[in-house]
Amino acid sequence: MTLMRYAEALNAALREEMQRDPTVFMFGEDIGRYGGVFKVSKGLRDEFGDARVRDTPISEQAMTAMAVTAAMSGTRPILEIMYADFLPLTLDALVNQASVFTYLWEGQVEIPFVLRTQGGGGVGTGAQHAKSLDAMVCHIPGLKVVAPATPADAKGLLKSAIRDSQPVVFLEHKLLYNTRGEVPDGDDVLVPIGKARTVLEGRHVSIFASSKMVIEAENAAKLLAQDGIEAEVIDLRTLRPLDLESIRRSIAKTHHAVVVNEGWTFCGYASELSATIMEYCFDDLDAPVQRVAMPDMAIPYSEPLEMAVLPNAIKIAAAARKAIA
Amino acid sequence: MKNTPSTDELKDMHHKMVVTRELEEVLGVYAKEGKTRGPIHRCDGQEAVGVGACAALRTDDYVCTTHRGHHVYVGKGLTAHGIVAEIFGRETGYCKGRGGHMLLGDVTTGMLGGNAIVGAGIPAATGMALSIQILKQDRVAMVVFGDGAAQTGICHEAMNMAGLWKLPVIFVLENNEYGLTVRHDVQSPVADLSIRAAGYAMPGEIVDGNDVEAVYRAVALASERARRGEGPSLIEAKTYRIKGFSTSDMGGYQSEEEMAPWLARDPIQRSAEKLVALVGADTVAAIEAAARAEVASAFETALSDPFPVFETHAPSAAYSEFTP
Amino acid sequence: MATPITAGAVAGEYMETLVIVEWRVGVGDAVNKGDVLLTIETAKAAVDVEAPDTGVISAIFASAESEVPAAAVLCLIGKDVTDVSYGDAPAKAAENAASAPQPYPVAPLATEQAPRTPAGGRIIASPAARRAARAAGIDLATVSPTSVSGRIKLRDVASATYQTAPLQAPNLSMGLPPDERGLLKVHRSGPPDGAPIFFLHGFASDSSSWYPLDRQLAKDHPVYRMDLPNHGSSPKRQIKDFTALVKDVRDAFDALDLEGAHVIGHSLGGALALALADTRAPRIASLTLFAPGGLGPKINSDFIDGIAAASRPASLEAWLKVMVSDQRLIDPAFVNAAFAARTQAELRSAQVHMGKTLFADQTQSFNLVSALHRLECPTRIVWGRKDRILDWHDALQAPGHIGLHLLEGVGHVPHLEAPDISRAIIRSLIKSV
Repeated sequence: MTLMRYAEALNAALREEMQRDPTVFMFGEDIGRYGGVFKVSKGLRDEFGDARVRDTPISEQAMTAMAVTAAMSGTRPILEIMYADFLPLTLDALVNQASVFTYLWEGQVEIPFVLRTQGGGGVGTGAQHAKSLDAMVCHIPGLKVVAPATPADAKGLLKSAIRDSQPVVFLEHKLLYNTRGEVPDGDDVLVPIGKARTVLEGRHVSIFASSKMVIEAENAAKLLAQDGIEAEVIDLRTLRPLDLESIRRSIAKTHHAVVVNEGWTFCGYASELSATIMEYCFDDLDAPVQRVAMPDMAIPYSEPLEMAVLPNAIKIAAAARKAIA
Repeated sequence: MKNTPSTDELKDMHHKMVVTRELEEVLGVYAKEGKTRGPIHRCDGQEAVGVGACAALRTDDYVCTTHRGHHVYVGKGLTAHGIVAEIFGRETGYCKGRGGHMLLGDVTTGMLGGNAIVGAGIPAATGMALSIQILKQDRVAMVVFGDGAAQTGICHEAMNMAGLWKLPVIFVLENNEYGLTVRHDVQSPVADLSIRAAGYAMPGEIVDGNDVEAVYRAVALASERARRGEGPSLIEAKTYRIKGFSTSDMGGYQSEEEMAPWLARDPIQRSAEKLVALVGADTVAAIEAAARAEVASAFETALSDPFPVFETHAPSAAYSEFTP
Repeated sequence: MATPITAGAVAGEYMETLVIVEWRVGVGDAVNKGDVLLTIETAKAAVDVEAPDTGVISAIFASAESEVPAAAVLCLIGKDVTDVSYGDAPAKAAENAASAPQPYPVAPLATEQAPRTPAGGRIIASPAARRAARAAGIDLATVSPTSVSGRIKLRDVASATYQTAPLQAPNLSMGLPPDERGLLKVHRSGPPDGAPIFFLHGFASDSSSWYPLDRQLAKDHPVYRMDLPNHGSSPKRQIKDFTALVKDVRDAFDALDLEGAHVIGHSLGGALALALADTRAPRIASLTLFAPGGLGPKINSDFIDGIAAASRPASLEAWLKVMVSDQRLIDPAFVNAAFAARTQAELRSAQVHMGKTLFADQTQSFNLVSALHRLECPTRIVWGRKDRILDWHDALQAPGHIGLHLLEGVGHVPHLEAPDISRAIIRSLIKSV
């Protein structure tokens, strides 16, 4: 085990996979000489050269479409989209290209392509640099979507994503980059895509979260514990494909569910989770599933306004109490 | 055809450039002390572009700008107090704290927006020009955008339609040599982006972006042309970004040798020299003192202004089906 | 506010009434959490009811030897002897039952938030509550909601039925049992002084199975009834082999620090009693082995697999009937009571795993015949000639100084099938020491 920051864990995964497989290459804005605006690709250009760690113009739409066809033709591209807020610029390539050809061409092509991006609010970056658009990418069949909360999962899941034969959207969070955690040593320690992690066991209410919201859920569990409520916190880790079995197991135990996502509420990821639970765990539910997500509005800049709209531990704890009451 | 600024206009432009510079200097101090929130993108050394371009327009003309738009904000006539209050997230800011420094907008001055999506301002201004044409108005729309935005696909699409339909839009390409940390020559195979104008059947011109009068003249000509219904123009204002990308930029990629010649061509200094010859040193000093006093008072007032309080109101809940 | 005590889950989920065998406390007694308050008789066996909290017995509502509804409040534990107020009795009682899941803290309902009466006669209940009510045969119209929303929740059905054990879906997948630490549970009854009796039950049973003997013997002797690992209220853990199981039992036996114990074991417990006597001879005064294991390779392994896994009363009943000769002993009340102690899927899966380990290849691979020959303490073997689990002929290997009681018309459980003879054998053995 090594104590690492989340950004360092990602950096290690990129380095190891690029060493392991010469067809892996990266491109994106400011990732080369500067090492990425969040320093995730620090030092990689020096180690692997301009050709494999490539700075690009500001051209998300073309970059994404190019990544898809590069993946089809023998390489394993890792594309960095600087902010999740810029995902809408990539959408044609994801919706109409990346996610369809493996199926349409009857498996003749694989598209081993990873799109890394980061989202989330809390630091005053304003409406165009603070969003969580998890639901938007999860809506597209044919894409895998992962959103790790810890350095260990960040590393293990990124390695799995790079080795995957399907397009994977890898969602990071700007407030997690500096968080630290123990990361298992070894080049072949992978975290499988599609498996949730039980962060805390509890008997009274299940809280399902991902990315930074896992930390909020853990804090909510501490608040609830003061009232004698034992919350079970499940870190989904992979948003799609969903680990339905872990969800079922937890709800069969607690009978109460709170679903948390930093994205918008309406048609949001929390809504999808809620619907899934309703459909598959109905007879185990002792109360309606509670959603905790972003209000349906632009994220304001001013601190008191931004803090008011972001989902947090207090809102999660309130939702859990409402479920249990 | 009027394309020469009057002495009063020169004095006003000088005043606005000093306000912009001073505003950024003070913001820089607050940022260093950790008293600002989110990134601040400074346009030090680029003041002549935004101020000169806006000075050549009328109040009812539209302008769109970038995440680095303080010179356009001030140039189009926004007050220092309203800008500073917005940047500090106060209720008295132009957008009551909701937009912040990158996403500020003000309808009364036609300043329709800073925009933090690179390239988004280009179709935005083009759309306003389309509306102007349909309404048969004699207004123009202008966009100030960077060399980074020039590489987006939407830039091509918008310019093509502007040329095709002869829309009254002025494309001011503020070439400051850097798209975030990446130099222009790593982003584009050609040094002069203005040559692209030919592909859209519009005039393309290179001006000294550190000469406020040169920028004014070019935009004045382009606006006359647009008002006559002759369509869009592309003006490439060559300048240089002195202060890095933003307050979150760790730097290290702009060398001193690269920067030195640009520092020597500081737009405010050059404007001051020209004005001293015209109106005397005392008047220029008075203009500058007034500008600094205006900024100082703006900060003083804004910092004691109240923060907004979150409430679900019509614009925030317009599409919410459920009241929380 | 005093805590009302009911039998709760220990009464068994299908019980209507129970008999109070004995009170171990009186009004005014101070009790600590975990103290035995009383013994009740259910269809299956005698069960101790323990104090959920520390306090003082402020009231006793039912006298010994009386039959009361299974849901009745039996006594109160208050702050002091005058603390006799208690409200919301059914819900509280369910909460306080020893093995009940701790329900969620519920804010007292403000009057303006009083549960809504269902509009138009439609009953509003959560899906989980509906399912639980269906399973327990409860009419939801008789259940009052306690939630702010007015919806009947799982806890309301639970308190309406006193069925506080969590409902388990049948046939849950059998994973490895958990690995819990800690000494095995030993239940104590009887007077503080006297010659101690130490009971070891058989596979897939638990300490309450000694009720037919314990009820009488505890009048004169301190009685210690151990739950084997993965049985009763003992920890659940993976048992590597017979030797490891012996060590587990020995550790808990040693912790009791008994002198001159009369050890009584049944089946697997008989084999364990033999092994214990082999290494703890100085502390053991006598040994009574009911149908002991470990004396030969043969065992009915279908029974071992079947009883451990039985996840429904009907399947359990079939295997219980294999245990005894007289099938009438296994009546519905006995089956339901036995099943009530086995509703936990983890417990069943832990026992399945333990059975597969101890009796791998359908064989008793541990052999205690030589230990039997080394025994020096007075020893009796009691076996039914109709045993269908183990072969009673194994008893014939015993050396001459060990007494054999081979009972006609009795199956694998002599102390259930012939309690009077069994008790008489034990009493005479104890007297002889």
